[in-house]
Amino acid sequence: MKNIYEVQSANKWKSAVIVALFVVFVFLAAYILTNAFGYYMGYRPGGLGYFGIALILSGVSSFFSYYFSDKIVLGISGARRASPQEDKLFTQVAENLCIGAGIPKPKLYVIEDTAPNAFATGRDPNHAVICVTSGLLLKLDRTELEGVLAHEISHIRNYDIRLMSVVSVMVGLVALLGDWFLRVRFWGGGRNRDGDSGSLGAVMIVVGIIFAILSPLIAQLIQLAISRRREFTADAGSVGITRQPQGLISALQKISSDTEPLEAANKATAHLYIVNPFKKSSNKVVAAFAGLFNTHPPIPERIKALENMS
Amino acid sequence: MIYILLFVVVILALWVISTYNFFVSSKTRVGAAIQEIGNQLKRQAELIPNLEASAKGYLAHEKGIFDELTAARKAISSAVSSGNVNKMADAGKMLSEVLPKIQVVVESNPEIKGSEVVKSLMDELRDTSDKVMYSRRLLIDLTADYNVKRVTFPSKLVAGLFHFEALKGLETPNSGDSLKVSEDEMKTPKVDL
Repeated sequence: MKNIYEVQSANKWKSAVIVALFVVFVFLAAYILTNAFGYYMGYRPGGLGYFGIALILSGVSSFFSYYFSDKIVLGISGARRASPQEDKLFTQVAENLCIGAGIPKPKLYVIEDTAPNAFATGRDPNHAVICVTSGLLLKLDRTELEGVLAHEISHIRNYDIRLMSVVSVMVGLVALLGDWFLRVRFWGGGRNRDGDSGSLGAVMIVVGIIFAILSPLIAQLIQLAISRRREFTADAGSVGITRQPQGLISALQKISSDTEPLEAANKATAHLYIVNPFKKSSNKVVAAFAGLFNTHPPIPERIKALENMS
Repeated sequence: MIYILLFVVVILALWVISTYNFFVSSKTRVGAAIQEIGNQLKRQAELIPNLEASAKGYLAHEKGIFDELTAARKAISSAVSSGNVNKMADAGKMLSEVLPKIQVVVESNPEIKGSEVVKSLMDELRDTSDKVMYSRRLLIDLTADYNVKRVTFPSKLVAGLFHFEALKGLETPNSGDSLKVSEDEMKTPKVDL
């Protein structure tokens, strides 16, 4: 048994370690790829130009999806604005929790879908959006709804959307660099290969190829690990606001035992939801392998972590 | 060498500034949290006359409840205007003791239970007491964060340097009956369904 403060600070640490690991990996991959690039193109370490271009490209695309995240996601999901009269419980509970969390009240949206689920997005607490399905409002009672909404509110309070955007910039950077390197390797275009870059250059190029193939995958796996860690953190944050683990536990059980797939969700928005909207394979080995590619930790693990909070 | 030294000094200065800012902004936010409690209590007090007006017809024989409501309302108003956090907390408690009693009466009286106005008023009152609870929680969390930083290393050094004093927040009595658990409280509550 740990109290909520210990859980929260342990989560902060674990999250920081993964993020640091990720940053180190991205810089290592970028360094090796740009160097290999440099050797391959015939001039000595100087692939920095490519690094810059990749950073700009990846940065610009991610910045747009970050800055307009709320509008894009809401547009895709076909959500409507929650009205204080019709969705009274939703509005009241969200207001109350925001008072407790000390953040301004986010914009509230409802997706008309019977599958219970919820997500939060927006770039900072002042531009945040919480979106729930009408099925969630129908199937959960007040305490359970408090647990779910507090989970979303802690995502907002922890700046998770911002963190995941920065992470996706870096994943995009590595993917672009790897892709370009493989393209010039295979389609030719090296200007000058008789330069005496020597054995170091050859080794660099081989390592570069390996990195070009593997690092986008590894970067993505770390990105998913960060995403899973943030879910645990948000669960703990939810208990920090409501002080009632039972509400979130029974909400998670209800949501996960619901067999209806969420029609409004697709691959691009799946990572946002409180529970993965796609249902998994029942085969254990397949499930364990697929677990590596999950944006969310498995529900039983989350419930166990919640039950351990006193 | 000189650059490394300069770098360390800059980092250190940035840390001192950000820690100082944490303490100052925490203080401001605690002030805001206290105002929020007052706000919500006021809202609660304003709902009471409405409830009385719409339920009085049904509850003519439950005069005691209305007296208690009126007393709670007066206590809230005077506590909010005094601006004292602890008085506010006590006043809120008075009301939260009356509410379940009304609930019982409403539940047992089908006529009043069917009344939309009373139902939505009860709902509002429940919601407002949640809001009061959450605004108190915020105050408690903020003061706890502040006080923990004030006594833990290394932020302790900054707090000492600028003489930041401990915040009181909501006071809980440290002596007397509140520390004991009475015989009644140990009993398993009986639930009639």
